[in-house]
Amino acid sequence: MDLLLQLFVNGVINGSHYALLGIGFGLIFATTRIVHFAYGPIFTFAAYIAWWLSGAMGLPIWLGLLGAVAAAVTIGLLSYLALYRPLELNRAPPLVPLIASLGLYIVLENLTGVIFGSGVRVVDVDYGIFFVGPVFFTSIHVWQVGSFVILGLGLAAFLRYSRYGKAILAMTDDPDMARVIGIDTFRITLLVFAIGSLVSAVPATLILVKNGASTHMGFAAVFMGFVAVIVGGVGSLRGAAAGGFVVGLVESLGLWKIPTEWQASIAFIVLYLVIMLKPEGLFSMARR
Amino acid sequence: MSEAILETKGLAAGYGKKRAVFGVDLSLAKGEKLLILGHNGAGKTTLLRAIFGLIEPMAGSVMLEGRDITGRTPAANVADGVAFVPQGHGIFKSLTVRDNLELGAFAENDKGKLPERLETVHDLFPILKERASQVAGTFSGGQQQMLAIGMALMHGPRVLILDEPSIGLAPNLVERVMEAIATINEKLGASILMVEQNVQLSLPLADRVMVIKTGVTVYEGSPEPLRDHVELMKLF
Repeated sequence: MDLLLQLFVNGVINGSHYALLGIGFGLIFATTRIVHFAYGPIFTFAAYIAWWLSGAMGLPIWLGLLGAVAAAVTIGLLSYLALYRPLELNRAPPLVPLIASLGLYIVLENLTGVIFGSGVRVVDVDYGIFFVGPVFFTSIHVWQVGSFVILGLGLAAFLRYSRYGKAILAMTDDPDMARVIGIDTFRITLLVFAIGSLVSAVPATLILVKNGASTHMGFAAVFMGFVAVIVGGVGSLRGAAAGGFVVGLVESLGLWKIPTEWQASIAFIVLYLVIMLKPEGLFSMARR
Repeated sequence: MSEAILETKGLAAGYGKKRAVFGVDLSLAKGEKLLILGHNGAGKTTLLRAIFGLIEPMAGSVMLEGRDITGRTPAANVADGVAFVPQGHGIFKSLTVRDNLELGAFAENDKGKLPERLETVHDLFPILKERASQVAGTFSGGQQQMLAIGMALMHGPRVLILDEPSIGLAPNLVERVMEAIATINEKLGASILMVEQNVQLSLPLADRVMVIKTGVTVYEGSPEPLRDHVELMKLF
């Protein structure tokens, strides 16, 4: 029973991480229909910037986080302006940005290795260890869950109540109609690339503190974000967040009966089952 | 009729390299209701989308009150008093009626005008007030069309462009929508540019008619001669 409780808490912690990635990746995907796989290496690059600032230069970790956010937003915006935007203007079919995104993925990942070296980079941050009854967790875990709560609620409030948030919802629903009512869809696209990239920098910095940064860690990040979006239902951020928790919990609770070497496959199995049984996603609202 | 509020000269447009509209001259007078008729694929929708800036015209010009607005963005056109109701219920289906109407006024800088406009829309279509919290996608086709027109009015347009507002609606609902368009023209003073295939139900509304065939104007003038030949017009 104690084990199950610990696995549940681990699931919530990992679920928060996946949910944030799902929200960030899903916001860009739902609004622009761009499958932004380069989200992965942007996540990685942000983690390395945080390492460079607080690990190599010795600045406090919150400054590392700020640097990571700035770097992720800059590269996110540049990837849209330099890569996806010209394709859009040339009316390229949807497969072209997808392939371009994979190309950008490889370029960014290699660039990160060239700039920072390919070894694992760690930062030395003091963190607390807590025992609540039989359950163990650290202050980094608390931050992982806390950052999801803060960013998730903040983003939900922004979408619900602000003028630009509503414009994002409108564009997610129908981009053509958004233009008809006078929404500048170019600006909204820049906005979602900025917000989505900003969101990625937070879990990136926390993973750096927790496990260290490696150049290939972007794959797991974008893959889990992608799975969260598909499992939750494309077009709904609440769905992407819920999808992240489903994957996190199933992955963790699965360890109760499944050997650990299978853990990495669990997300694939969840994805497969959802695509087969409920392709619109577990939490999609009935639309159209 | 007074001077033209909206004009096109030699307007040509299409998608990719394929032209669908070949040099259309059009003039909408202030306060006028101009009806454009034509069969499926005649280039009516392309013409409207090129006027409104949703697609870049290939040749020719669009003028609003004598100013050249060719190829200007829809956002700029909306802010300048031109509203467009696209074909097939131009609404956001996943959002509530209230959110839709609010978004209709997205480009309006003077938010002080909105309560009054909302009241105007509610007077015209009371159902939009009664069901303000309903998700718009659950509305019937007729209600969705009313919402689409309501959204366009939230910006207080001087020119209202409608692309086949009757499409997919039962005849009694088409009449209801046409009455609303007439009211918008008379009470709110918006000039109307409307494309239709439903000749019978749209013709009574029109001050003037243009008939387009394969991207070229084949008739322009009073609706009277066409009224006697509604059956013939169906052949278009």
